[in-house]
Amino acid sequence: MASTYKELNISPVGRVEGDLDVKVFMEDGVVTRAHTQAAMFRGFERIMAGKDPQSGLIVTPRICGICGGSHLYCASSALDTAWKTHLSPNALLLRALGQATETIQSIPRWFYAIFATDMANKKFANKPLYEEVVRRWSAYVGTSFQRGVTASGRPVEVYALFGGQWPHSSYMVPGGVMCAPTLKDITRAHAIMNHFRNDWLETVWLGCSIERYMQIKSWDDMMAWVEENESQRNSDLGLLIRAGLEFGLDKFGQGVGKFLAYGTYLHKDLYNTPTVEGRQHAVISPGGFYDGSKFHAMNHLDIQEHVKHSWYADVPAAHPWDEPLPTPMQSQNLNDTDFKGKYSWSKAPRYMGHSAEVGPLARVIMNANPANEKHQIHDPLFLDIMNKLGPSVFTRVLARVHEAPRLYTFIDQWLREINLDGEFYVKPTERDGKGWGATEAARGALAHWIEIEDGIIKNYQVMAPTTWNVGPNDELGNSGPIEAALEGTEIEDPHDPVEVGMVARSFDSCLVCTVHAHDGKSGQELAKFKL
Amino acid sequence: MANVLWLQGGACSGNTMSFLNAEEPTVVELITDFGVNILWHPSIGLEIGQQVEHLMNDIKKGKVQLDILVFEGSIIQGPNGSGTMNYFCDRPMMDWVKELSAVAAFVVAIGDCATWGGIPAVPPNPSESTGFQFHKDKKGGFLGANYKSKGGLPVINIPGCPAHPDWISQILVAIATGRIGDVLLDEFHRPKTFFTDFVQTGCPNAISFAQKVDGHFGKRGGCLFYEVGCRGPMTRASCNRILWNRTSSKTRANHPCLGCTEPGFPHHDLMPGSVFKTMKYLGFLPKDVPTGTNKMAYYMRAGFEKAMGAVENMTGANKEHFETSK
Repeated sequence: MASTYKELNISPVGRVEGDLDVKVFMEDGVVTRAHTQAAMFRGFERIMAGKDPQSGLIVTPRICGICGGSHLYCASSALDTAWKTHLSPNALLLRALGQATETIQSIPRWFYAIFATDMANKKFANKPLYEEVVRRWSAYVGTSFQRGVTASGRPVEVYALFGGQWPHSSYMVPGGVMCAPTLKDITRAHAIMNHFRNDWLETVWLGCSIERYMQIKSWDDMMAWVEENESQRNSDLGLLIRAGLEFGLDKFGQGVGKFLAYGTYLHKDLYNTPTVEGRQHAVISPGGFYDGSKFHAMNHLDIQEHVKHSWYADVPAAHPWDEPLPTPMQSQNLNDTDFKGKYSWSKAPRYMGHSAEVGPLARVIMNANPANEKHQIHDPLFLDIMNKLGPSVFTRVLARVHEAPRLYTFIDQWLREINLDGEFYVKPTERDGKGWGATEAARGALAHWIEIEDGIIKNYQVMAPTTWNVGPNDELGNSGPIEAALEGTEIEDPHDPVEVGMVARSFDSCLVCTVHAHDGKSGQELAKFKL
Repeated sequence: MANVLWLQGGACSGNTMSFLNAEEPTVVELITDFGVNILWHPSIGLEIGQQVEHLMNDIKKGKVQLDILVFEGSIIQGPNGSGTMNYFCDRPMMDWVKELSAVAAFVVAIGDCATWGGIPAVPPNPSESTGFQFHKDKKGGFLGANYKSKGGLPVINIPGCPAHPDWISQILVAIATGRIGDVLLDEFHRPKTFFTDFVQTGCPNAISFAQKVDGHFGKRGGCLFYEVGCRGPMTRASCNRILWNRTSSKTRANHPCLGCTEPGFPHHDLMPGSVFKTMKYLGFLPKDVPTGTNKMAYYMRAGFEKAMGAVENMTGANKEHFETSK
């Protein structure tokens, strides 16, 4: 049989938060090449230039309604390092609580609303577990869908107790936090998290206690856990593992095999004097770069951005601090784009020259680094899973949901550690300078760079997790992580290319963060990063 | 039964995330119990690629009835009015919006970006963003001041950054259940039921405002109007009546109101000195005073109250009202 070549334009991919378009080239139904296109721009960094130095506290959470707390965590940290503030243990705890509650919220919301509905796609109709998957995870009507989506609102109620609302609070400010909670708030927060555990996490999701689940240290443990009893086997996690393997989700979406995490959750006693240099030591969820066989310490100076395939005039790859202002070029729609040239508003970030995947899988791999410090997470599970299964759609999904029990225990512990007699805010002295703030958003490594001069913002740069994952080819023609993950994927029905969606959604892409800004009128760049 | 198409322009998805927190009713109940049929939604719709494009074309041609067009995010017109900075289904999103607005029974703009441009429209407005029928507080916007949907109403504006989920879901229910006649719109096309009272209504610090007791970050008690720029007295929204995430509101968490349901947010366009600081004349007179008050009258009254407060402080009178506890 002669080979059949086909090009497939998918605009929009949908359920990825924002506008992602994908072009795939197929041969005999298998993707041979794929290109991702970010298709919307707003220009936040240009808007911030020349404005009040604290503008990032209001503007950046609104870059992304899904990761607003994460942007706020970065924006306040960037100002802390620039203004050389003092942070009390309470302030660090309350910020970490904001980050953690936002991330744990995202787990059921992403799983049910964004990802699992694809497993109810007719593509899998011939699989034995399909009927059960449909019964539970069909959009809106699945028995777990409403419970999961409703439960996802609980953790952000805790965020709202301290920040006033979620999304889009600005309660983290240089020098601490705005709130000064009382015993009532702490007790309510515990009660709300208990509801989350009882209504969903232990009952629907795990089918066992958090403590039991946390004993799992290897892939063999995980499989033994599934088969240990009916409750675990029939939990949504039990079904995800059984159906995920039965549906072959472990067989596609490999990616680049290199992983980057900045780490997050600054320890309450280790970052009271914030500095750029002191950050990596102070995080509880460790950062790092894993090249497929070895761990390396994370240094933000090893980050560079490439623009050869982005709609900007060519300049050599450079660190965000050293890049010249890019000059925007005319964009095209997906149909008219020539992928040999420029084809996305996203730049292509590289770590030590490598395309790197960021996100929950990167984080849980860093947790297995034997060099982690005493106050950091030690969890060997995902190094074992990577060795046995390798990266895939399935591994990525499992990594994300694996974080929920640990985050629950962190939130519980941090609430207990708040000292109601302690300080929450120490008024800083405003000054000029450079700052850097970073975190792990639900979907991966996020960082802000700020430069303040003459009391106003001279430069503000945001590098979002989706920029790492969805970025285009670099100068050497190497694919971005999602592009790479699509290659080799078999597409059964080109009219319903659900496999492409599943790969993109396994990264939890968020295009609203990735869009690059440019000033259409003057042609002047709006800054060097994606906002 | 009402067919809803939800699209995003220059958006952060924050209104979608907010909407997913809806309580009364929940998003799922909207669909299962209140007759809302979501034709497509970027975050929770099932269709992708061509399937979406076919749906859009069917709506355009009238093959599929569009009862409510919900739009989140600014209308991006850049560069140079082309709208190509925001492609959707291979065309500028603004072209789709024009066509869909012509066939929709009702158009609901959600959040500040869709209503009046929001943060993307802050100068220099790099994406040439605007709102559906307003640009900041000027009537007009993308569709023009005279636009009315087939249902006979202008664009229904549900502002806020983001909009409260119950404001969104309750308006959708009103349309789906034939109660749209009960929705009165104010001069900015906001449903009066949510946007008549001020944020200050229900704020636990209202008494501190009246008696000029200052609050600050990291401190319990006191009013945030005088030092950190709270806009509660000049912002119409029900944030302290219908709480956020069932539990709280900005001012309840000692977070100054940013005034995000009023056109013009972010106020003063983020100019130096305007963020989390009360802008003042002569170092002590607030530049922005409560809505509906004459500036001079306000300064005189506030000055009197402040002086009285200082005397009371010295003598220890009225202390009980301002005690706080952990």
